[in-house]
Amino acid sequence: MTLIAHAIAAAPPASLPHRGLRGRPLSWSETGGLGLWSTEWDPDVKLERPDALEHHQLVERICAAQTCLPVRFGTAFETSDAALESLDKRAAALRAALARVAGKSEVALTLLWREAPAPAALQSAVGPGRRYMEQRRAEYGAREGRRLRAEAMVEELIVELAIERPLVWYETGTSASVAVSLAVLVPTEQALERKAQLERIAARFSDVAPVVNGPWPPYTFARIE
Amino acid sequence: MRKLNPEDASLLELVDRLLNKGVVLAGEATISVAGVDLIYLGLNLVLGAVETFEKAQERRAS
Repeated sequence: MTLIAHAIAAAPPASLPHRGLRGRPLSWSETGGLGLWSTEWDPDVKLERPDALEHHQLVERICAAQTCLPVRFGTAFETSDAALESLDKRAAALRAALARVAGKSEVALTLLWREAPAPAALQSAVGPGRRYMEQRRAEYGAREGRRLRAEAMVEELIVELAIERPLVWYETGTSASVAVSLAVLVPTEQALERKAQLERIAARFSDVAPVVNGPWPPYTFARIE
Repeated sequence: MRKLNPEDASLLELVDRLLNKGVVLAGEATISVAGVDLIYLGLNLVLGAVETFEKAQERRAS
């Protein structure tokens, strides 16, 4: 029986409905005080897009019931023993990660550029070679300018939030539209307040449109080394 | 540059978390959707998928 992993938690398991993906049994496998919540799965059945969102709903339900570490969607084990062996190998790091996210949730902020970069103003009289080089230089300059602007917005956000840097994760320029993708780990009971604070701060940036999401389970902060 | 709307951005942020964040455990099987390994789908690829979807919508509307 294949297991599709959802989340890792410390024993004892919370009391949860025994309903996993597509109504299949949700199971708890335990070793050394750690356990894995997973769905008992038929290996011949392929996961599909709706399963990803259902995995998210399961993770939300599990993390609401007990401190948990979301497992990357698509993680499967052929047997319960294989899953437990995997937990055993990382037990210390998993316990440390559970302590890090205990009582906390993730709030996400995406800053979307409102406008495309302005096209470079080039001299019409120059030859094609120089024109190409100047265009390349202008494009590089525009990208670098946007990167610096995105970094400045992140710095302002961190200062205004008065949050410790290990509790912030961010990337800039993940695509042409996205200036900043940022996540903060906050106490769950303050998550909505922090979300509103993020919205207020980000609304001051006139060149980007802010999108705030969450609170979510601590996906970004569940990584282990 | 195609402008992302807030709904797209929210969905992409969530999908990015499901596929690229969270605990990575050894022993994971390769699971794919439409022949593409989920584990290796990144936000940029998902962005591409949204663009494809929107173009298909535009074609249907025209």
